[in-house]
Amino acid sequence: MNVPEGTLLKSHVVRDPRDPLAVALDRELTGYVVLEPQETLLLDSDGRGVITFRDGVPELAYYTGTDRGGPPALADLAMPGPYHVELYRLSDPALSTTGSVDALAVPPGMAAERLAGDPALAASTRRRAPADRKPERSTAGDDADGDDRSEQGAVEAFLADEEKIEAIQKQAREEAAQRAAEWGFD
Amino acid sequence: MVEAFAVASGKGGTGKTTSTLALGMALTDEYDVTVVDADMGMANMLFHAGLSDVETTLHDVLGGDLPVAQATYERFGMTVVPCGTSLDGFRHSDPTRLREVVAQLAADTDVLLLDSPAALDSRSAVLPVVLADRVIVVLQPTIPALSDGLKVQEYATSYGTDVAGLVFNKVHDDDAIDEITVKTEQYFDGPTLATVSDSEAAREARRAGRPLLAHAPASAPAESFRQAAARIDVRDGASGAVADRFRSAVIPDSP
Repeated sequence: MNVPEGTLLKSHVVRDPRDPLAVALDRELTGYVVLEPQETLLLDSDGRGVITFRDGVPELAYYTGTDRGGPPALADLAMPGPYHVELYRLSDPALSTTGSVDALAVPPGMAAERLAGDPALAASTRRRAPADRKPERSTAGDDADGDDRSEQGAVEAFLADEEKIEAIQKQAREEAAQRAAEWGFD
Repeated sequence: MVEAFAVASGKGGTGKTTSTLALGMALTDEYDVTVVDADMGMANMLFHAGLSDVETTLHDVLGGDLPVAQATYERFGMTVVPCGTSLDGFRHSDPTRLREVVAQLAADTDVLLLDSPAALDSRSAVLPVVLADRVIVVLQPTIPALSDGLKVQEYATSYGTDVAGLVFNKVHDDDAIDEITVKTEQYFDGPTLATVSDSEAAREARRAGRPLLAHAPASAPAESFRQAAARIDVRDGASGAVADRFRSAVIPDSP
């Protein structure tokens, strides 16, 4: 995925990947967000995700750790925080040069559902999506029109990824042990 | 006898408070149940249990010299200890007193349910999980909720707390939940206690300020919570031992 270099708006560490998605929607960001999950250190991979946005709505997603794009990239990126996050603004024509590559395209609300687990944010994002990016398939009521079958497939793929789950468990154990010392637990 | 359970999930919005009150009410058929809002920074049990107008809450007990008896309310067959929602109340609370308060409550009940914070990033957030005998993990069939649930389990077991089981909450019909629960159980030390369908009944109950089992006892989610409660095999613990453990537990940091 080739993204032109944009103007850096924000670079920080967040616990929850919901934050950059909400900020992007709030600011109607046209540009892209780079997310680097802390787990990539454990998984020993160069894992960074890029999500492009037009007017606050996600368009494309790519994850370097697995070289996958589109919905699978969002599944790969879904890990417990913290994440290092960078938000970049791009001009609309510059964003257009990334092309609308089908293999990288994601439905508008999927990042909020899959990364943030936040149906309300997903619904707000879908409402903001232009008419030509609708319809997504309906799942649960009028507001949630994400692709539920692929969501379910993503959850199953996550549960089948033993290496990733072991990495999450290992990190949590190490964190718990380290904090036990900090917090004075026996 | 008393067994203390932390009802926890690393992630917010999974329905912990609804679950805590539903499991608590279901368990009252057999046990003397006390539920405590241990999410002191983001308390909401009082809204779920019709207690938003009460004068005295856990904040007042932790912030002053009031006895805990003044912040306990007999509602829906349970003893409910709500927490206040004001930031001021939170600031003036002395969380070091929580252990003693919970120790006192443990001396006089069969089942103690601690509605726990949706975070693992401070001593006071983790304290309910540390103090409990077992944790009930509330999950949703989404990747963020599952990975946060895994973290809760690792924290719990690291601190010597077992897993009583999993509650899959807010499940949609087409979530293929059976396959997901089977795969999820491979990674957790406890069984799936129930899968609870997403339902307007839970939201209506919250708006009405009543626990789900009081507001819509015949609803499908209420029945699922009763099944979950029936699958919890409450263990006999000596009340005194639990009380002592609370008293000797770590002191949480100040808010």
